[in-house]
Amino acid sequence: MTTISGRRLTRRTILGGAAATGALLATPRLNRAWAADPVQINMLAWYGHGEPDIVEEFEAQNNVKFNAKYYAGGDNMLGLIAQSPAGTYDIILSDAEFVQQLNAAGYIEEMDAADYPFDDFFPEFQKFPGHWDGDHLWSVMVRYGHLGVSFNTEVVTHKEAMTYGVYWADKLKGKVGHFDWHLPNLGSLSLYNGNNKPSPFDIDAAAWTKLQETTLSLKPQVGGYFDYGGTFAGLKNGEMLAMCGIGDWITGVLQKDGAPVDSVVPEEGGIQWTESYSVGKGTQKHDLVVKFIQYMLSGPGQVRSAQMAAYPGMLPTRTGWKALQEANPDEAKRQGMVDGADNNPLKLIREGRIHWRDIPRQQSLEEWNDFWSEYKNA
Amino acid sequence: MALRRLIYPMTWRLPIVVWQAAFFVVPLGFMVVMSFWAVRNYRMQPDFILDNWAKMLGRGYFWDAYWLTVIRAAAASAIASLVAFPASYALAYKVSPAARRWAIFFLIIPFFTSYLVRTYAWQVILAEQGVINAGLGFIGIGPFTMLNSGFGAMVGYLTLTLPLVVILQTFSLASVDRNLIEAAWNLGCSRFRAIFLVIIPSAKVGLILGAVFCFILSFGDFVSPYYLGGSKPPTLSILIIDTTKSGQQWPRAAVVAVTMIATLLAVAFAAVGAAYRKPKP
Amino acid sequence: MLARVYLAAIFAFVFAPIVASFVFSFNSDRFPTVPLGSFTFHWYETAFSKPGVWEAFRTSLLVSASAATLSTLIGFCTAYTDFRFGFRFKPAYLALALLPPTIPLVIMGLAMLAWLSNVGLSGTVTAVVISHTVLGAPFAMAVIRLRLSQMDPALEAAAWNLGASEWGAMRQVILPFCRPSVIAAFCLTAAVSFDEFAVAWFVSGLNKTVPVVILEILQGNVDPQINAIGTVVFLTSMALVVMAQVLVMRRTRGEAG
Repeated sequence: MTTISGRRLTRRTILGGAAATGALLATPRLNRAWAADPVQINMLAWYGHGEPDIVEEFEAQNNVKFNAKYYAGGDNMLGLIAQSPAGTYDIILSDAEFVQQLNAAGYIEEMDAADYPFDDFFPEFQKFPGHWDGDHLWSVMVRYGHLGVSFNTEVVTHKEAMTYGVYWADKLKGKVGHFDWHLPNLGSLSLYNGNNKPSPFDIDAAAWTKLQETTLSLKPQVGGYFDYGGTFAGLKNGEMLAMCGIGDWITGVLQKDGAPVDSVVPEEGGIQWTESYSVGKGTQKHDLVVKFIQYMLSGPGQVRSAQMAAYPGMLPTRTGWKALQEANPDEAKRQGMVDGADNNPLKLIREGRIHWRDIPRQQSLEEWNDFWSEYKNA
Repeated sequence: MALRRLIYPMTWRLPIVVWQAAFFVVPLGFMVVMSFWAVRNYRMQPDFILDNWAKMLGRGYFWDAYWLTVIRAAAASAIASLVAFPASYALAYKVSPAARRWAIFFLIIPFFTSYLVRTYAWQVILAEQGVINAGLGFIGIGPFTMLNSGFGAMVGYLTLTLPLVVILQTFSLASVDRNLIEAAWNLGCSRFRAIFLVIIPSAKVGLILGAVFCFILSFGDFVSPYYLGGSKPPTLSILIIDTTKSGQQWPRAAVVAVTMIATLLAVAFAAVGAAYRKPKP
Repeated sequence: MLARVYLAAIFAFVFAPIVASFVFSFNSDRFPTVPLGSFTFHWYETAFSKPGVWEAFRTSLLVSASAATLSTLIGFCTAYTDFRFGFRFKPAYLALALLPPTIPLVIMGLAMLAWLSNVGLSGTVTAVVISHTVLGAPFAMAVIRLRLSQMDPALEAAAWNLGASEWGAMRQVILPFCRPSVIAAFCLTAAVSFDEFAVAWFVSGLNKTVPVVILEILQGNVDPQINAIGTVVFLTSMALVVMAQVLVMRRTRGEAG
């Protein structure tokens, strides 16, 4: 008998301990939880978009809670959606060039253009390719940035960095890192090869072969292939002295941390990454999602977006520029979002030096991706 | 009546059969089937095509990654076994049983810390401007490149496996019959020769087991080669992740996975065979 | 002497990352080097001000408690079967029981996700519990089997001779004898589950566990929050282990007295 009660005691003690620990863990949020259960919005995005520095104000105002799943790269994003039941994600932040795929696969809902302040957008961004299908709207861009040469300013000068050729410099042997995704890297090197008309991603078979040769010739210089975190750490701790496939979205964060790094758009031109919100097919929270996108395009939302802790981005709306210039003039200046700045994104675009990042037009995505795997193993 | 007699044994026998069949055998079987499926427009479709196999096994880079992974795992298992042996020997024979128990306790602690957290700590320690290089800088040498190299990956593999290898070796060495060892000494065998002639053969099972576990763990690990090795070059497990990320090519990832399992099974069977083979008379 | 120096070196290697992580969690530098920065609780505050982190801790506790319970139950059944019964195909039976830990976790994750999403379970807490039970059951079996091998098989037979049914003997003899190992198995499998990130990463979807959150920080905004979370996880699981030890010791002492 004692053994039986003893066993029960033991089990109960353990369960009790577990329950107590659970209760302890739950305590800090009890008050809020009792007020009224917040509506949960599931978001699929690049790292950082569901973090408090972006969503906390909206969460508080609307009694919602974001639950984010992060991906790295559009191919990765498509995979995650495919593996989840339909309607899992209420809002999807995707790279602009993947909106068409999202649409073709039936993962997103059509949007009502009247819901969004397109008049407030700079003309360059009003009809972003792939987001519109005639008059039908499928996605709304919220931020963008430029990819070029990123480098350690103690080793590489701005002048040297004005060409992608700097990656082949002797002093960078074994110190050039790659952001581990084929599109931005191959796009940059395609620009280096002079493929800028119409786009570094629209190249014929001969140019594609040439691009592969160019890329492979960079191999001896390469120090590693990194995800977002690795890129970050590699540049900061001096493991890598130059990075291919990134831009201010990484070095901007590191600068805040006091690291001697910078990014430029070189002579050959730069690539623009663009992030856009789409509404997930089958969401039950359509209105809240629309409201959130409207918030992100409003002054307060744009200011948060520009200074996102994970990585900064530039703004597509006039309201956003003005709000940022008031809220944080230094950051507005640093990112060139003031009239007359050398790195003013609109100026660069108007000079024709910026190319939208795109999916390969004359080869399949798979072919580029395959080559990237081969390159990594070369 | 016979049926009722079966209730008791089957109550104990069936749970694992049912569970592992439903959630282990079937998923792995499904993966084999999936390796013959097709992918169209980012969606997998049931099919029976050999394209995935032809495509993956026909790639030079697949075989580069394959041999790299095999060699690294073998190296990790050799290094871990060699590095662990003197420590296990000391723990088994040179310290008091109480000290040994404490040592084992401390070797178990790492299993309760996150492997990811330890990997990240190594990243910081080994970096160009990290703790070790800063320390070396004070005495005027370095900096050395340790991160994003085979060396970095090896540090990770050893972090993962060394405690386990030491534990397994210590147990097997400690259970060797002391009389046997002393007999060897009395017969004029030097301590050093006794290790090779008596101790290692007697503790063979544990030593091989340790090496095999180290091989298996290193072979399949993706954290060390990625975060400490800079995936330069990628191992098979990184290749699997890359492949699943890129355009929903799960069938091809399945090809890599099936190849890996086949390799591991071959290694495991060979090792178990070697461990339990009766020594030649 | 030499032996002790060598042992010290091995332990230094094993504990370097653990100690470093603990130290860095209180260090102000985002990318720590020597000399260290100043003392701070910043990383703890940042990490634990996020609802997502608390959520992950709750998910992890739920998952590891459930997976450990299931693993221990299944592991006990299997260990007892191996101890008590001989039957045809027993080697195959044991192979099936012990094989899962030899399959790399990435592959387990891949296979689990492919299969579970086929049956509509992917992205649920259940999916993580199922996977962790597959991984944990062999460990539980090994621990309990080890204890059973210390038992005289005649003991159970003696109970039958004294009139106990098979079930009665199980309750009166086997279970009490195995109790410490059952608790140990529960703790071990709970710890395995609590630290498992690869399979969980594949199948957990939006129900992230703590290691998945750590992996996301490592892939994303790498900073010493990893160390802060890691330290808390470490202290939690060590507390559980010590608690289990004390419980087992108190029980054994109770039996002796």
